[in-house]
Amino acid sequence: MASHGVPRVSGATSLDKSEQARAKERKQIESYKNLEKDVTDRIRAKDYSNATFQLTSKLLGQNPEYYTIWNYRRVLLQDVFARELKSGNDAITDTSNGGSPDAETAKKAGLTLAQQEISLLIKEDLQFLIPLLKQFPKCYWIWNHRSWLLTTATIHLPAGTAVQFWRGELALIGKMLALDSRNFHGWGYRRTVVNEVERLGGKSMAEQEFEYTTKMINTNLSNFSAWHYRSQLIPRLLSERQAGNDERRKFLDAEFELITQALYTDPYDQSLWFYHQYLMSTLDPANAQSPSVLDPCTNADRLSYLEQELDNVKDMLDGAEDCKYIYQALLDYSRRYIDIEAGNKKVTTMEMRQWLDELRKLDPLREGRWSDLEVKLGL
Amino acid sequence: MSLVAGPGRGGVADDQLPDELKLVIDKHVAYIQSLDSRRNELEYHLTEHLRISGIYWGLTALHLLGRPDVLPREGVIDFVLSCLHENGGFGAAPGHDPHMLYTVSAVQILAMVDGFAELEKKIPDGKTIIAKYIAGLQQPNGTFAGDEWGETDTRFLYGALNALSLLNMLHHQQPEQSPLINVTAATDHIKACHNFDGGFGVMPGAESHSGQIFTCLGALSITGELDSYLGEEGKDRLGAWLSERQLDDSGGLNGRPMKLVDVCYAWWVGTSLAMIDRLHWIDKKKLTAFILRCQDPEQGGVADRPGDMVDVFHTHFAVAGLSLIGYPGVLEVDPAYCMPKHLVDKVLGR
Repeated sequence: MASHGVPRVSGATSLDKSEQARAKERKQIESYKNLEKDVTDRIRAKDYSNATFQLTSKLLGQNPEYYTIWNYRRVLLQDVFARELKSGNDAITDTSNGGSPDAETAKKAGLTLAQQEISLLIKEDLQFLIPLLKQFPKCYWIWNHRSWLLTTATIHLPAGTAVQFWRGELALIGKMLALDSRNFHGWGYRRTVVNEVERLGGKSMAEQEFEYTTKMINTNLSNFSAWHYRSQLIPRLLSERQAGNDERRKFLDAEFELITQALYTDPYDQSLWFYHQYLMSTLDPANAQSPSVLDPCTNADRLSYLEQELDNVKDMLDGAEDCKYIYQALLDYSRRYIDIEAGNKKVTTMEMRQWLDELRKLDPLREGRWSDLEVKLGL
Repeated sequence: MSLVAGPGRGGVADDQLPDELKLVIDKHVAYIQSLDSRRNELEYHLTEHLRISGIYWGLTALHLLGRPDVLPREGVIDFVLSCLHENGGFGAAPGHDPHMLYTVSAVQILAMVDGFAELEKKIPDGKTIIAKYIAGLQQPNGTFAGDEWGETDTRFLYGALNALSLLNMLHHQQPEQSPLINVTAATDHIKACHNFDGGFGVMPGAESHSGQIFTCLGALSITGELDSYLGEEGKDRLGAWLSERQLDDSGGLNGRPMKLVDVCYAWWVGTSLAMIDRLHWIDKKKLTAFILRCQDPEQGGVADRPGDMVDVFHTHFAVAGLSLIGYPGVLEVDPAYCMPKHLVDKVLGR
């Protein structure tokens, strides 16, 4: 239930600490508890001052998992935002007779003074989070606070300003995913950001996001997060391109070509096989979670792709006879082939029995699965 | 309950043959028992935001190890109730804000120690107040937020169904009352998180992840839709993905393709396979050996991987994982609730 990855200290454990180390730890505890009490007391006393805000920064810097303090930080920010909006600074100031420099800047940006102030505070808080995210990239609460800041910007600021904030996030996520290309917080946040940029900007980003997955895959073929995102983008991409069936077929062929090349590079990488499985699943009416790429998709189409990929995957065996994924794919696609065209001699039970035998030899860990498969296939 | 890591490291028994590895039950019990005496360590204080979940992890492990009375019942109930807010939500520790995660842990603990009477005594209608807090976090699209700040995640949706059912507050449990939540909208949301590979993600469109698969299957299991929704085809597809989490070299399980193994996935993956009747699709003997290699046989506790520091989170999931596999001396765990099965049966009147 909890966020995964409980903090793990390194080096000396509590049992072999010197008295000096213990004294140091006692001091650290005292100072941490004092800081925590200071923040908590101030919040209870409704001291929503800048000093309190700075203390939450200090405490969160020491312990970003302390979710209640993030809540306090949002209470403080909301309080400032509400005061700004109530202060009468919520109209575009008439600066024709010479206004303050702040008013001038705000006017230029098409913001009221209040919005200008809110915008600055949000920008500062987004900055505050960057070193924390780099240090604790898997901390739910930091990502959560970032999302809240952006959502709040959308509420208080004009769409044009808000969308700039959201767009700015793409650069940060790009950096975070370059550091850890599988960080699922990063990928999830990317989807949220893209949705908002599309909504506020009124323009689809499917093409450029598809390009991004190509880039990520080219950097590291084994990045299943990128392959997965790609699989999610394809149906939208094709529908936005208003692709006819020829174009769809060409697209599917190109994807098969891409994954086949990747599989020749490393047939032992299951990420790649899952993407191959995805492409095949788009042809499988029994898989309700996979939308069709071809439109329409006939049984003749299904058979032709199954034939093509059965041949293709069989070729991969050359030099990779010990690769269990190849036999899994052959059995899976053969079963589907027989389901559609039982009388054809494209696949034979004898061949399937051989593949299953190989699979059992290569993958004894999943013997229970292969023995169920044997029954399912009637071999 | 402290969440301080260590003092020991897992994997001291690396040179032992698999058949010689044994679960050091007494050591683990003593380890969990000793956790609250570590207030002189900074990490004890830095992990206060997880305290009540820590009690749930420690207590469940103790129950499964056949030592339910090691933690003083009254002390546990007093602590849990000291985390309850007026709005019906629980924080992780006294003074911490209410949140779904800690409310679920609190309800699970109260269910395990049979503490609902004490709750009602201290706060009349306590169960209803808690249930209303949870129900209030349901969003228009069926999913649940973690708290008033709005983060959503299938973990929270699962937690809501878990806790509401333990409180006996789901509509089928009290059909005379008007429903507190929209169960159909909740399960529709789960279905929207279902991927082509058979797995489920944290939100619609997100990559399949073993932890989220557990929450989605758990939710469907609690609402009674698991078998009808997945069918044999769906179970085969998901079972295939889950079984590929076991790695040849270590026998341990990972959470997603091409990631590191970790003891806690013995639970997330193992119980998901158990819920779809395909636990025999992985090698239980090898998984057992992996889990046992992660324990510290001298001082107790289990780490995520051999060589790392032990902690109560991984100790709990190691024990729960061994329970699924039927390890001798470990009581049966309920796959959907991650609590001792006989207690869940009792609370739900099954």
